[in-house]
Amino acid sequence: MNRMMAIGFGAAAFCALAGSSFAADPAPAAPGTQASVAPAPAAPVADLPMVPPAKPGVFTATKKGATGYHLVVAGHKFTSRDDIEKYLAWRAADLTLSDKGTWFTFTQIRTKADTVPVPKRDPGAPRHSFQMANFQPVWRYKVKGADWKSWSPYSGAAFFADGIKAEDITDFEASADVVVRKGVMDDADPLGYEAGAVSDLLINQVSPPV
Amino acid sequence: MILQKRLMVCASALGLMAGTAMPATAAPWVRGYVVGQYEYAFRYGGRADFTRGAEIEPGVDCPHGASTHFANDVNTKIAVQRQKFRSQQEIDWISRPPGLDQVRAPVLTRFHIWNRAVAYRGYKRGIETYVNPWAAEDPGQPQVTSRIGDGFNLDGKVKAADFVSPDGEKGVDNNLYRAWGCDAPWRGNGNATLDLRANDKMQDGLYTMVIRVSGNKDPMNDDNATLEIGYSPDKLVKDARGGIAVDYSYRILSTSQYTKLKAKIKNGVVETEQVEHLHSPRIAWFYDQTGDTNFSKGKVRLNMSPDGLSATGLLAGYRDWRELYTENTFAQDGGQQGIREHEDHVSLYYALRRNADGMYNPKTGKNDGISSVYRLKLASAYVVDPQDPKMEVPKLALDEERMQAFLAIKANTIKGAETRVPQPVPPGTTEAAVGSFEHDIADLPSKDFFIKTLDRPHYANEDKDGIPPWMRRRRGTVAPTPPAATPAKPQNQVQADTPTKVAAAEKQ
Repeated sequence: MNRMMAIGFGAAAFCALAGSSFAADPAPAAPGTQASVAPAPAAPVADLPMVPPAKPGVFTATKKGATGYHLVVAGHKFTSRDDIEKYLAWRAADLTLSDKGTWFTFTQIRTKADTVPVPKRDPGAPRHSFQMANFQPVWRYKVKGADWKSWSPYSGAAFFADGIKAEDITDFEASADVVVRKGVMDDADPLGYEAGAVSDLLINQVSPPV
Repeated sequence: MILQKRLMVCASALGLMAGTAMPATAAPWVRGYVVGQYEYAFRYGGRADFTRGAEIEPGVDCPHGASTHFANDVNTKIAVQRQKFRSQQEIDWISRPPGLDQVRAPVLTRFHIWNRAVAYRGYKRGIETYVNPWAAEDPGQPQVTSRIGDGFNLDGKVKAADFVSPDGEKGVDNNLYRAWGCDAPWRGNGNATLDLRANDKMQDGLYTMVIRVSGNKDPMNDDNATLEIGYSPDKLVKDARGGIAVDYSYRILSTSQYTKLKAKIKNGVVETEQVEHLHSPRIAWFYDQTGDTNFSKGKVRLNMSPDGLSATGLLAGYRDWRELYTENTFAQDGGQQGIREHEDHVSLYYALRRNADGMYNPKTGKNDGISSVYRLKLASAYVVDPQDPKMEVPKLALDEERMQAFLAIKANTIKGAETRVPQPVPPGTTEAAVGSFEHDIADLPSKDFFIKTLDRPHYANEDKDGIPPWMRRRRGTVAPTPPAATPAKPQNQVQADTPTKVAAAEKQ
């Protein structure tokens, strides 16, 4: 009887664990659909760096084409541009590694009105594993009492939060389009990012916004 | 008389024919060599007398020339302004320290300030960069764009990005050249500064490398030959012109730096088998870097001159790229070498990492190795076995402390890269100009700002000026610690019994 109870408790515990584990797994999103994606489970080794899991709705990855994603990080408590963009970059790297990719390319979402020059490819110039300065998401935001507005890093305009109190920003979204790639990275691509290197750099720096 | 003459001619002709048709020496033979030049097999494509703007010797290998990291205050400013934790004053003052015109040694003073500053470029203060390069942004590294490179097809595949050898062999794997071939101290037309330094130190006795080739047929054509490569405890002998003296005797030790390979020789070209582990001495210019290359899937090709007096060759395989990084970075300290040589080890770290192309690690899903080719120039020598077959590589007692510090910082660097937990600088090194900075900027009016602002590692038992014990010993302000044991000094004493006689006969 005791043995049966023990097995029963064991099975229940296993199911509970399995349930929480499945919930944390990244859910592959079908093309054109949205899914809330949690970070890949970290290695079960004590004291290794790990990014805290995001609450539902903070991070979404929408499939775009065969290996592309539209990534969005959303929150209500604005800290800094750097914090949010680094978290988004880390999620892009993490997603790439989860998809068994080695690197990803960042696609700039530009309009005709943009004035900031496009980074040029120069095979003779220094090669990089990543250039964080070129990882420039576009933003949407809401300030108290106003509607959603957008801001593009390619517009030439100052960052929207400059001169605004952080507590007046009630909602924000930073979004990026990336394409997951396999094999040897094209290190002459100024918008190429080696996923492992980006993850290594950012893992100790980022946490999801709230 | 005429008949006699014809008979003589006929006999001579027969003799000559027999000589060419028969193997020249169908008997055991040995050829020995000592390595006189040993360097990365990088092909220089620039013009030594040409610069263009800020580019140094642009060429077919490196279209914008060699690396120029920390070459001037503008480049150093670019490097330190990437850290968001620095104030604008800090950035400006590091790149152009105020009051330099009032000090006795302005270049040296600036050098020490830059050394300490660039040693801390992590994502936050307090993370030493050379131990934790992964925690700093990639500054970028010019890479080789040429398609021609020396080496072998190590993986048996012909890939789109592979090099083509000067002889037209396709599929050549030499990603170390791609990654580091534009790095200033390794790029040059025989004048690359670290090439010169490493060869100079080797020739002055830091270590000696020997090769012994043997077989049973003709030394120039033998399909069942043997090639041995290893460390010799005997100091390399120079001739009166500073070249490598030929035909001196060197012992070859069967130690961790020794490998015996099967080889085939065709027209004097020795081609060895490819072995899982090829051990040989490392390129080094300080004792702390010396040790085993441990090439994976390694092989050797030698081109022996018919007279047996010289040879050239290539030694190749995959090397653990983290070992290459640490060997190049911590001979002294990362900042010191980087600023002096215009190289940035953070850039070199990332270049190695993304060009790693072998030694796949199924646990991590990453390549631990990078295809690497070393170039050899050899002079004939008598390579003999030591009297004690178990003789070990001698240790330099006075440099053992530095060797231990090197091993400790190497271990911390690899641990940090694997765990992504920033690691400290272990005791015994000069990282961040510890032990010299405070003293050498003493007469700079703005010294207090730099001492207060710039990070550095701290250790137990520092003196009031922050000098740790090992630097006080090196500076001679405290008595040196006596070495634990005094190893026997290696001498040019050899047991020249058996192997030498065949080699000597062969060279006549």
